[in-house]
Amino acid sequence: MPDNAKPRRMTRPLKAAVVGSGGISQEHLSFLSGKTVVAGDVSDRVKLAAVCDLSPAAAKYGATKFGAEASYTDMTKMLEQASPDVVHILTPPQSHVALVTEALASGAHVICEKPITPTSEELRKLQAVADEYDRHLLESHNYRFNSGVVAIKEMIDDGDLGDVREVEIRVTLPVTDPGGRFGDPNMPSPIHKMPAGVIHDFTTHLSYLMLHLTGDATFTKVGASWNNHSESPIFRYDNLDAIMIGSSATGPVHGRLRFESDAAPDGFTIVVRGTRGYAETDLFQPYLRAVIPRTGGGQLSPIANHIANGLELVKSGVTNVGKKIMQKGPYHGLHQMLDDTYAALVDGNEMPVTPQQMLRASMLVDQLLAEESRV
Amino acid sequence: MKMFITGATGFVGQAVTASAMESGLNVRAVVRPASNAAGLKKWFDHSTFETAKVDLRDRKALVTALEGVDVVVHLAATKAGDFYSQFAGTVVATENLLLAMAEANVKNLVGVSTFSVYEYLQTKSNTVIDESAETVADIAGRDEYTETKLIQEDLYRTFGEVEGNSVVILRPGMIFGAGELWHSLLGSPLGPRFLRIGSSSTLPMTYVENCADAIVAAGERLMEQNSTVNGEVINIVDDNLPSQQEYAEMVEAVVETPKTVKVPWAVVKTVAGGMKLANKKLVGGRAKFPGIVVPDRLHARFKPLRYTNTKAKRLLGWKPAFTIAEAIKRSAEIERQQAEMTELSSDPSDA
Repeated sequence: MPDNAKPRRMTRPLKAAVVGSGGISQEHLSFLSGKTVVAGDVSDRVKLAAVCDLSPAAAKYGATKFGAEASYTDMTKMLEQASPDVVHILTPPQSHVALVTEALASGAHVICEKPITPTSEELRKLQAVADEYDRHLLESHNYRFNSGVVAIKEMIDDGDLGDVREVEIRVTLPVTDPGGRFGDPNMPSPIHKMPAGVIHDFTTHLSYLMLHLTGDATFTKVGASWNNHSESPIFRYDNLDAIMIGSSATGPVHGRLRFESDAAPDGFTIVVRGTRGYAETDLFQPYLRAVIPRTGGGQLSPIANHIANGLELVKSGVTNVGKKIMQKGPYHGLHQMLDDTYAALVDGNEMPVTPQQMLRASMLVDQLLAEESRV
Repeated sequence: MKMFITGATGFVGQAVTASAMESGLNVRAVVRPASNAAGLKKWFDHSTFETAKVDLRDRKALVTALEGVDVVVHLAATKAGDFYSQFAGTVVATENLLLAMAEANVKNLVGVSTFSVYEYLQTKSNTVIDESAETVADIAGRDEYTETKLIQEDLYRTFGEVEGNSVVILRPGMIFGAGELWHSLLGSPLGPRFLRIGSSSTLPMTYVENCADAIVAAGERLMEQNSTVNGEVINIVDDNLPSQQEYAEMVEAVVETPKTVKVPWAVVKTVAGGMKLANKKLVGGRAKFPGIVVPDRLHARFKPLRYTNTKAKRLLGWKPAFTIAEAIKRSAEIERQQAEMTELSSDPSDA
């Protein structure tokens, strides 16, 4: 640990600070103020000490609404005065390296929104800073903790799908909409300057989910077609179609990643096919459909699958209406990830997203963007 | 006097620009870099008119754009999208503007707010809503627009507390005009039809050209020595306000309107009240329903109340130039002309 490091003895509840008051801050702040359905009251583990944003009104609003002790417009001052144990960095990606480094140097653990860095090389350097200060650094891999993904992963681990042979992940979002936060040509979002442009905001999700569901497969052949179908001058790309072929511990694996901006409705579909069956879900309009060997053997399995999946769709329809009314959205995975993170910090256990998982996801993004992968 | 108008390309902004130009003021109209400024085209050749291509989120560019300005009329706001989009477009944009004004030494501000900031659920029917009426008591039940406009008003007031600064806050009612005749105070779309809620409530409305005249007058009054409008909040509504039924009939007579299903105010009010009670008792108020069945929002749109423009007339020396009936006919004629222009420009035989 460097001489200027400030090791602190952390006592429960941990003090948290949030830096950046954009849309995603609502989810982090809701968790920290004990307002999420997933985690509920977290006051025994963490209390919200500060909200920081360049906009005084935004910082004050976040602090007042979610019960923080103070609001700041200067992170350095916030780190000095509030002395947080954990800092949530929720600012645009280009600012991450500087802000994360400063927070780590202050002696705080850091939870950072994705993509934590534009490249895996920069992530290695940032992780080295975390290691130097003996602090944890966690990139948000929130969708890994969504109930649909958890259920499919359990099916894989239980052998219900057999050995995984193919994973397809498809995100559909109207990012080119001129009225949206990415499509506004008047003051383009900073994310446009990332290597994959706007799609870089989603490539982390696509990559960690691909690795998670293929059992950390190594992809030796990657072909990625990056397109700007809208021909909007502010976009580098608005469409990605990638195929990857590799192997995991259980054999060969094929992967397909797609991002589309001109299809409807919004969707985040995942299909996992294995040697015994397949399972699919949509994280935005959740359901779980699995066609697998069921009780009754080969003769009755198709009928059992029809009945089970029919019932599941009815149940999902009812549940989704309830969730809509009760405001339980696709960010429940983020709340679960934060809950697991604070539990790990308090108990001294391994973090729910490890440095190795972050690095591998970042390397897969590099691979998708590499010149030799372009088709 | 140079007037800086934000949101100048919008529905109200175009009318304010026209009113300011016709009043002989120098106008600098804010046009976002990628915005269509066609609505301001008729002023482009006037020596007293200029545009400032700037986005309100770009503070540095704003300081330059504000050079030489005497008074700012702030109309720009974001009315659509989620809370954080509206917060960025309304609150952060206003914050940037006010910081830039301080840096550019521009001290006079006409802050345009809305009738939405008033409390309606707790207000008794037939109460007169004037400038002394209470603002929202519990923001949880209201929409993102109301919440961000309330924060914006706080920013205006903070700016006005600075020595030497002058601020007047205007709260217009529903602003109507060409393209905006059939509006949300009449009801809500329901599939292919329109749910008409209530019929006898008075509509707190102002015709866009009348409202624009009031806004420009506020800017002029603010610049006077010992201004009587500095620090004031002023409601803007027209004279002889019609009921929902009277207004709907006048509009239906001149333009095509959606097919409607009429529902009495008492029925909708009772249903929404029951849902709120059930929500509170069964799930601690955590359920979220469409605005049309949320009492706080419903009362803000349809409750029978009364309105006055006495203060606006007294302080601004303003009088609506058009009656409601005249404004409707005028708007319908503009809509007809615009439709003809669109048809001509899309007719290939005309090329």
